Amino acid sequence: MVANEVLFCAKDVSLRLGGNLILEKLGFEIIDRVRPDKITGQIVALLGPSGVGKTQLLRLIAGLSEPTSGTITGLHDKPMPAGTVGVVFQNYILLRHRTVLGNLVTAGVMNGMPRTEARDKAALLLARFGLAERAGFYPVQLSGGQRQRVAIAQQLVKQKTLLLMDEPFSGLDPAALEEVMKLLVQVRDMDELNTIVIVTHDIRAALKVADTVFMLGRDRAIDGKVASGAHIKESVDLVALGLAYRDDLETEPKFIELEHRLKAAFTNL
Amino acid sequence: MSASSSLKNAFLPNRSVDRTIALGLVAFWLAMAMLAWAASPFKTLPGPGEVWNALGGLWMQSGLSQELFTTLKLIAHALVLTVVISMALSYATIVPLFRPLVEGISKLRFLGLGSGLVVPFTLITGGGYDLKVDLLTFGMTTYFVTAMARVVVDIPRENFDHLRALGASELRILWEVVILGTLDKALDVLRQNVAMGWAMITMVENISRAEGGVGALIANESKHFRLAEVYAIMIVILVIGLVLDYAAGALTRVLCPYSQLERMRA
Repeated sequence: MVANEVLFCAKDVSLRLGGNLILEKLGFEIIDRVRPDKITGQIVALLGPSGVGKTQLLRLIAGLSEPTSGTITGLHDKPMPAGTVGVVFQNYILLRHRTVLGNLVTAGVMNGMPRTEARDKAALLLARFGLAERAGFYPVQLSGGQRQRVAIAQQLVKQKTLLLMDEPFSGLDPAALEEVMKLLVQVRDMDELNTIVIVTHDIRAALKVADTVFMLGRDRAIDGKVASGAHIKESVDLVALGLAYRDDLETEPKFIELEHRLKAAFTNL
Repeated sequence: MSASSSLKNAFLPNRSVDRTIALGLVAFWLAMAMLAWAASPFKTLPGPGEVWNALGGLWMQSGLSQELFTTLKLIAHALVLTVVISMALSYATIVPLFRPLVEGISKLRFLGLGSGLVVPFTLITGGGYDLKVDLLTFGMTTYFVTAMARVVVDIPRENFDHLRALGASELRILWEVVILGTLDKALDVLRQNVAMGWAMITMVENISRAEGGVGALIANESKHFRLAEVYAIMIVILVIGLVLDYAAGALTRVLCPYSQLERMRA
């Protein structure tokens, strides 16, 4: 492992849809966070208010659509076509006609994995995520939290180091929110190169679990009207601030101050 | 829920009742219908006893079983053709090139199966059994395509993206999302089309009576004003229609158990 190695890079990315400029010259990098004697992946939060273009950016990163201009590359500057990046959609989409196990096995088989290997990997992931007893259930029989875990596990059947999650904290009660955060940390630390990009507008949850935060927003003219497509307005290195990898953040004055500052900034994005 | 409160719910709006009460309600309305029929003041309406006797006569002397077999064979043939053609057309809507074609075929349902279509179909098929199969297939296909193409169009874009993100090929996406993912809905559409095809059968068999069938039989009995026989055949048509409908529903429950679970959850 190489400290500060670039795992992901978006450079001058612009996106125009139906004549509207959604993203404009957006750029950011994700670097490998190295902690001595510890396998640690990365969790990056892409924060932005509703309608700013977060989901469009997620689609670009996932290779599901093409930017109008600019480049998006992964480790060693390699392009990332669809299928190389895991995506957990907001409503945790699964194959409704397949069981939990079937969903995971299908994900493996679709990527050329032999069925027996896919079954073994699926069983391992289900056990790891506390879902072994739900293997024979259909998605409709799962709770929201279980569905989310299955959706994540499905993306991990094939070894993918970059996992995108669209609004993973949306609609969760406090206990479920804690569970999801623990799960994200668990996935992060499964591999040094594992990188989870969370697209969210939940500032507090994002700050608690991420090591880097990027604020997505648009410039405004003096009269308050939107003057451009969205781009990265601010990046926050939570590791440098001493606000990452900790369980006691909520009582930390620096954390509270940062949360307030970002919340205030949100209204102007 | 106690039996008495469930029974009370049967009289209140927006309530549900348990299975036993629901079956009891069906039995009640059937009994009421039979009673109304038996007590009917209309002399032209044959009574249950007359219809029952007529049914016995049709079965023993007029070869009703043979006519039924002919009709069932006809509808099965037309149904297979309808399913193959309609599914292919509906799934083709994922390719923009075919959308106007499918839309056009769907619109043909407004033509109905009236006499205007009989002439060209007779010229094409030469009449007889082929004419009936083709007319029935045409009639059912236009409705099947209309319903099934809508099912395919309504698949959320995220379902396709989900599979793309998993690394699936476009063919695999077609299989998982479009074909398997809508199988329960396709079976529902099939169920409706079986009913529709069965409703069209007497009309189609009337157009060409040479091979017989219950449609031809009912037309012959009507011509001679044998009303008890006509109603007996109608009851047979109704019962077989209900059996076919139940069979199609059972097929959905067996092949797509998740569909039933989703309905229960909803």
